[in-house]
Amino acid sequence: MGYSGARGGLDAILAAESLVRGARNQDPAPWLTTEQITGRMRLAVDRVMGEGSLYHEETAADALRQAEGDVIEATHLVRAHQSTLPRLAVSEPIDPDEMVVLRRIVPAHRTPDGPQLLGRTSDYTGRILDRNAGPDGSTVTENEVDRAERDLSQRHPRRFSEMLREMDLMVDSRPVDGQLPESPFDLSRHPARPPAPRSAILASMARAETGSLIGTWYRSILGPEGNIHEVTLGEVRHGRLPLRVTHPHTGKPLQLGYIRASECEAIEDLDGPDEDRGRFDVGYGLCFGHNERKAIAMANLDIACRRFGDADGLEQVLLLTTDGLDSCGFLEHLKLPHYVTFRSMIDRKRAVRGVDGGIDEIAERHTEPIGRTC
Amino acid sequence: MIAHEYSRERVAELLADAPEDELVDLADACLADGIELAVLTAPEVGSVAAQVREPIAHDHFFLGDVLACRAEVSLGGVRGWAMRLGDNRSATLAAAICDAEIVAERPQAVRVLELCARVEEIRRLAEADEWAQLAPTIVQFEELT
Repeated sequence: MGYSGARGGLDAILAAESLVRGARNQDPAPWLTTEQITGRMRLAVDRVMGEGSLYHEETAADALRQAEGDVIEATHLVRAHQSTLPRLAVSEPIDPDEMVVLRRIVPAHRTPDGPQLLGRTSDYTGRILDRNAGPDGSTVTENEVDRAERDLSQRHPRRFSEMLREMDLMVDSRPVDGQLPESPFDLSRHPARPPAPRSAILASMARAETGSLIGTWYRSILGPEGNIHEVTLGEVRHGRLPLRVTHPHTGKPLQLGYIRASECEAIEDLDGPDEDRGRFDVGYGLCFGHNERKAIAMANLDIACRRFGDADGLEQVLLLTTDGLDSCGFLEHLKLPHYVTFRSMIDRKRAVRGVDGGIDEIAERHTEPIGRTC
Repeated sequence: MIAHEYSRERVAELLADAPEDELVDLADACLADGIELAVLTAPEVGSVAAQVREPIAHDHFFLGDVLACRAEVSLGGVRGWAMRLGDNRSATLAAAICDAEIVAERPQAVRVLELCARVEEIRRLAEADEWAQLAPTIVQFEELT
């Protein structure tokens, strides 16, 4: 691709940036503090952390403020910042079974092991715009739940797929004893290209742009491929996962703290000729923060990719087209000067038509243009 | 020898969650007797790559990076180390000094251990409070017929 090197105009560029800074930073409204953003815009913050692939609420909040609320731009800022950071450690493998749940729903079963915990959600209530909303001192309403049912062990419920395993209704894809897991693909070091291991696809989806992932999932439901069907969600969770690293002096793991994540299991009814029709298989989704839509789309696409990814190009779509930085970066670059490339296109058109009004010559050669009579 | 129930890892974990002002005050107290301090690794903000072992096929994958800060010191020849989520450099350096104070069994070690105990208690209360707010949202869906 050849772009015109735009020269000059530096003063105008600086003036344009100054307009952004000035209008944002000197607006008469009270300054939006980092704490306000993390406290009141938590879902936007979580989305930026996930798509920016850097877990730190304050960094994401500052990026959102600088980007004037543009999630994609904030993600860009966070990802650029992340790329400057040294890697201090790789964590011990996180076991999602250790999640301390803040919310846990099992759509596939009315009474699973452990509670159906709605947590912080408005999923089951009507949402009506409230333009007079403000701090009202509201607190959690105590309901009539039997206090005997409140057991801290309920914060670590057994996952639904384990129930399926026990019932021998789930394909067992776990490695055999003694088989070491593959080293996970590291997207921050190498770009993933098909064919890629599942770890690359899961990592790509974990940091994919949420809307893009949902769009890809929806296309897989209703689009021409139609490779997702009969999927039921086993688990939808939001909770805290312990993050551990190895202590350099003792060689033993220590828990640095918790990160919040959303998790989903998508149960697929196997019906292919080479598949075990007597069992289900399960797709898996996990992403930073509270972003259930993304985790659900990810779990559905994981199982779809495992079943059909090679055949219908889904793997390629997930690896190469769902990253918001890539797609939006490419889209936005179209706004940059393209004078040279477009001028060459004009030149080609003129050449095709014959220089200086050779249109009649072309018309003679194509007396029945495609589409004119069809 | 100071008897306590905390492992080195547990101390690091609790100090990683301690409030900055208490850590810094305690680190200052540790240094007040003039003990020689060498900063082996100045507080460095970077990332920890969060590796997950997913529960379905036990494949490992990278979820993303987590912002963290680490530091290492030598306190009178005894090394102390700390890592903390986020980018708080002063709290991380103070935690490394407090860690070394315990390893060296120096005079302020007891206060550091008391801080660890307070952090544990704060965590326990916070979790109980959180659960008290969440538990009322446990639902029994009705069977649809």
